[in-house]
Amino acid sequence: MFAYIIRRLVYGVVTLFALSLVVFLLIQFSGGSPLDRLKLNPRMQPVIAQLTELWGLDKPWYEQYFIWLRNFVTPVDVPAQEGLIVVLGKLGIRSWVAIAAAVAAVGYTVALFFVKVKANWWRTFRAFSIILTWLIAFWIIKSRIVFALNWGISFRGDGPVWDNIFGAAGNTFRLGATALLLALIVGIPLGIYQAIKQYSFFDQLGTMLSFITFSTPIFIIGVMLQLILALYMERWTGVKLFYVVGMTSSGYEELGRGLFGLPSLAQLGDVIQHLTLPAISIAAISMAGYSRFQRASMLEVMHSDYLRTAKAKGLPRRTVVVKHALRNALIPIVTLVSLDVAFIIGGAIITESIFGWPGVGRLYIGAIQSIDYPTIMAVVMAIGAGVVVMNIVADILYGVLDPRVRYD
Amino acid sequence: MADPLLNVEDLRTYFSTEEGVVKAVDGVSFKVDAGERRGVVGESGCGKSVTAMSIMRLIEPPAGEIVTGKVEFDGRDLLKLTEADMQQVRGGDIAMIFQDPMTALNPVYTIGDQLIETILLHQDVSKSEARDIAITALDDVQIPHAGKVMEDYPHQFSGGMRQRVMIAMGLSCEPKLLIADEPTTALDVTTQAQIMNLMLELAEQRNTAVLLITHDLGVVAGFCDSIQVMYAGSIVERGTGDEIFHNPQHPYTWGLLGSMTRLDESQQERLNSVRGAPPSLINPPTGCRFGPRCDFAQDICREALPILHQSQEGQKVACHRSDELDLKSIAIGATS
Repeated sequence: MFAYIIRRLVYGVVTLFALSLVVFLLIQFSGGSPLDRLKLNPRMQPVIAQLTELWGLDKPWYEQYFIWLRNFVTPVDVPAQEGLIVVLGKLGIRSWVAIAAAVAAVGYTVALFFVKVKANWWRTFRAFSIILTWLIAFWIIKSRIVFALNWGISFRGDGPVWDNIFGAAGNTFRLGATALLLALIVGIPLGIYQAIKQYSFFDQLGTMLSFITFSTPIFIIGVMLQLILALYMERWTGVKLFYVVGMTSSGYEELGRGLFGLPSLAQLGDVIQHLTLPAISIAAISMAGYSRFQRASMLEVMHSDYLRTAKAKGLPRRTVVVKHALRNALIPIVTLVSLDVAFIIGGAIITESIFGWPGVGRLYIGAIQSIDYPTIMAVVMAIGAGVVVMNIVADILYGVLDPRVRYD
Repeated sequence: MADPLLNVEDLRTYFSTEEGVVKAVDGVSFKVDAGERRGVVGESGCGKSVTAMSIMRLIEPPAGEIVTGKVEFDGRDLLKLTEADMQQVRGGDIAMIFQDPMTALNPVYTIGDQLIETILLHQDVSKSEARDIAITALDDVQIPHAGKVMEDYPHQFSGGMRQRVMIAMGLSCEPKLLIADEPTTALDVTTQAQIMNLMLELAEQRNTAVLLITHDLGVVAGFCDSIQVMYAGSIVERGTGDEIFHNPQHPYTWGLLGSMTRLDESQQERLNSVRGAPPSLINPPTGCRFGPRCDFAQDICREALPILHQSQEGQKVACHRSDELDLKSIAIGATS
């Protein structure tokens, strides 16, 4: 399986290269220049000439592509001309710790695959321990090596792209992870329950609600939530339950710190009040999708021969559903959820705009409007990398859930 | 005479569909003694499987429902048991194996898991004892390296091997009755013979009663003590193997026998088929349900539903004209 993951990662890198080239060409040939705004002011002429020279905008597209690529992988504060050896020589102790963490994580992953224990619990333990190890390693590596790269300098004059994305990514993650969690914990049990009680009143109601949510555009859901749950709610009852804009209130810092520097309860409450509505907006569609998918896959399993066998063995209905049906019914959902995880990285452009959420989506739309190649490319590459990685994760999860899947 | 092991009386299982009520099993009564091997034969859709599923109470409302009837097993009426008691009967006292072994095992659990699960459910043993019982059960169905295959998944087995696993699972708790619903239909002929021989051997050894459901008369011939023929939701003829094969009293049985390939007869002869198609179970024809397809039908057959009665020849038959017809002497195919 290790060889399989390596092979998939290599394919992934090739895919990302192709992606970067295609997207770069699209931006190049869609017309316009990042400096167009400045042209309105005649006195800007020398600045335009200077920036054109600096950014290489007068060069042919392939040269521009390589300039972008070089900047993308150039570490902070290291001039582009210096080679890799020089870069390594300039790394501080913290960077070396990060490299050690990465090596350790790879080593642990490899080592685990040489341990042969043929049991289900072992497969599960192995999967989780590897994921955990990588999370910890990721935490250490974060902002040391990979993310010490600039990812290029923004054309909008606001510094290295990485700095902008890093800030926005945290915000997007808060919103996206909450939305995903909400979609999962509501959508999947809903689908399962609907399948178990097929054609009941609850099932019909769930189906109807799913179709309504699924077919309502997200900007309508978002605005309706703002209107009903925030504005009208406050007007009619006088209770301010939810906020419609931003991540926290302006007086957030004054709400006091909790123990160990953690947010206080008042701060947590404030965060939830801001988070709820945008999270519901994003979750709504996924939730409807998950519940439909889960219902269909559960129904298929419920009518399968092996479930009849399980019943004929005398297993209680609970065991039949939980042990024999659920695991099989979850397999098809894995792909769906994995790809959703990947797209969370890219942020939710519409929802973030409606709710004034300073995330990647807003950064992205801003970058597109001002033809800021480095930022656009960085977001695209991040989403691309997310899709590649989550596809691999999905395939590994398949193997955990379904013994018929083999990696070779 | 001792009480029968299984006593089904006037069982009626109906399914409600949009077109109307399908009377899949419509008044079936029969008894199976301990250790008896009974064959249930009939075309697809004649209610064989539904009868079996009804005995196990695996018919799920609201789609299907056992309307009336009594299923007495070992002195208890299964239809009156609570769900919890019924779970003890399923897999414990009555085991069932199914038609398609390729899909009857859960693909995500090992053979061992699925066997041990059944044993733990019905026997008061520890996990390691259950494991030993499971390995013995696999040994009994002649699966090589039983200890090793416990860790294997169903997809690593061939169809025949999976059916052996199903049999091992069914017999691991020493049931008094094994219901085999077309156990060899999905297997190739060589494997069929192996599986049938294995089942015969095991059932004889343990004195397990078997209810063998099949549309293949050839399978029944060597295996069963007695045979009942079903048509359109009810039993039309019941007797010993000899009686059914050599002296059929019901024109349907007679027709079925005529549609069998026989190695001991000339190859030149055309195979006979029972003309027409099985009737709708929503609006069955009045009178004898086989009437419209019967070569010997008369007015009475279109008016009154014949009931299962003792024929002069010994077996029970549901035909108005069984006593006057001498089917044995009519060459099959002569009338068509």
